[in-house]
Amino acid sequence: MSKLALTSLAVAVLVLTGCSQKSPEVDMTKGTGDTKGTGVNDGMSALQKLIASLEANSKVIYFDFDKFNIRKDQQANIDANAALFNSSEAKGFSIKVEGNCDEFGTDEYNYALGLKRAKSVKDGLVAKGMNADRVTVVSYGESNPTCTDKNKACWDKNRRAEFKVLP
Amino acid sequence: MIKKIIVFLLLTIISFAADATVEIVKKIDVLPKIAIQDASPNNIDTEFRKSFFKLLAGDLRVSSHFRVEDEYLRSSYEGGPIENFLSDKKVDLILRFSLDQNLNSAAANVKLINARTGVTSFEKAYNLPDKKRYPFLAHKISVDINDQIGAPSISWMEQSVVFAKYTEAKKSDIIIADYTLSYQKTMVTGGLNIFPKWSSKEQSAFYYTSYSGVEPTIYKLDMRDGSRKSIISGPGMIVCSDVSQDGNKLLLTMAPKDQTDIFLYDVRTRKIEKITDYSGIDVNGNFIDNDKRIVFISDRLGYPNVFAQNLNDKNVEQMVYHGKNNNSASAFDNYIVYSSREGKSEFGGSTFNLYLISTKTDNLRQLTATGENLYPRFSKDPDTIMFIKQYQNQSSLGIIRLNANKTYHFALKTGKLQSIDW
Repeated sequence: MSKLALTSLAVAVLVLTGCSQKSPEVDMTKGTGDTKGTGVNDGMSALQKLIASLEANSKVIYFDFDKFNIRKDQQANIDANAALFNSSEAKGFSIKVEGNCDEFGTDEYNYALGLKRAKSVKDGLVAKGMNADRVTVVSYGESNPTCTDKNKACWDKNRRAEFKVLP
Repeated sequence: MIKKIIVFLLLTIISFAADATVEIVKKIDVLPKIAIQDASPNNIDTEFRKSFFKLLAGDLRVSSHFRVEDEYLRSSYEGGPIENFLSDKKVDLILRFSLDQNLNSAAANVKLINARTGVTSFEKAYNLPDKKRYPFLAHKISVDINDQIGAPSISWMEQSVVFAKYTEAKKSDIIIADYTLSYQKTMVTGGLNIFPKWSSKEQSAFYYTSYSGVEPTIYKLDMRDGSRKSIISGPGMIVCSDVSQDGNKLLLTMAPKDQTDIFLYDVRTRKIEKITDYSGIDVNGNFIDNDKRIVFISDRLGYPNVFAQNLNDKNVEQMVYHGKNNNSASAFDNYIVYSSREGKSEFGGSTFNLYLISTKTDNLRQLTATGENLYPRFSKDPDTIMFIKQYQNQSSLGIIRLNANKTYHFALKTGKLQSIDW
């Protein structure tokens, strides 16, 4: 009985000390949402390599300051991406277009601007024969710069749409 | 004498407060002068006592209702003929604090002394349950001292700020803080967590957007028990831009068909209603006029500008006729504060300045001059505006005191401010 009492006391102490923490920090990477499986080693690594290769071969689309229309000098890249994503190796995948902005301006407007950029690219791909159902869009606003220098060259590079290939 | 000064000061403030867009350029130098004395026991860490003194001095200065003696002064708690008068400093008031040694709480005893008579006019013992919240203890004391002299309330200083800060690419944490950023506690981390918004005046829970799932999702985090609840997801982007006064309705920026518009979401019924209907960008909805109307940002004229619309009809009214890129706004009664990009250039340091307009007059008041001044938010009282300031590589929380025509900045040590609410 005394062992049982001691064990119960120990458990109670552990539970109570656990519960005494107020306002615990939430880590969204350990969320209760869907988790991705690690898959079977052999098959998945070939798939991952294909995805990586498609993403590396896709062309980033750049935009002018405060604009979301496709510039004339970017149209060739839109065409190349459409051809890439419609190729036999890529046909089975979905494509996510990520819209991004430079660091200027308030972020809520920039997330919307980033989304308009992604949508313009999607419309450009669909016009070149891609099925609209294969393409989703998302905006990262100012959150995803490729460089952080304070000069025009860097700001130009950050105003872009790029691609993720989804199995 | 002090009462006469205070009455005169109040009459002045009240007469100018009729229109906050009128900038006060003539200063009236009759603010009561206050000195602050540390009467804490010697075994309390000196650096801690000095930082508490600085918080109190900072609060009283930011209130703009006092002239603050800069020197750090010591005294016993009861004082004496020198400490209770400080004749050489020619002060009107003495704020004396004694910090408590309790390890588990932020506690202090405080006296307010009339330096002309040496009489203690106010005395109180304070106790906040969490030792780390000592900046809020300082703010609470300052709010009470300000009330004691009958000045307009500065209770906004006790409000918690919730902000998101970028830490690296596609990563942003959500932190709650006091307005000086002296207290900070990370509430959400891991991945991209952005646009936090308090769910009610009680500030016990907040909404935020997370990119951790398949689609951007708005969650509600209840700080009382740490529970997190998914509210609504949407493709592309989803942001809670404002919460109604009763907490039951949210203004969301969503893009269910890849097209950003403003939606009204009822928290109780989970019903969504589309409010704006334009093929470009509509974002940043804010409730005004007892939550029956909204102010928002739209590029329907070819550039971002500020518009208003009733919730029950589609008539849209342009609110600002100045500037060519007004990308963020906040409203209180008939005042709108917005951020405007100055000049057309692509770079060299774009400037964004804050402007205040009244919907009832033609007055326009410029509030800032340099750097990028973004994301303005009115406090619960219309005399104080909080905003984000980016200047070169420094990200800061800015506070504007409209009647006093003064601005204060509190720098963030690491990371970049993404969005703020209070």
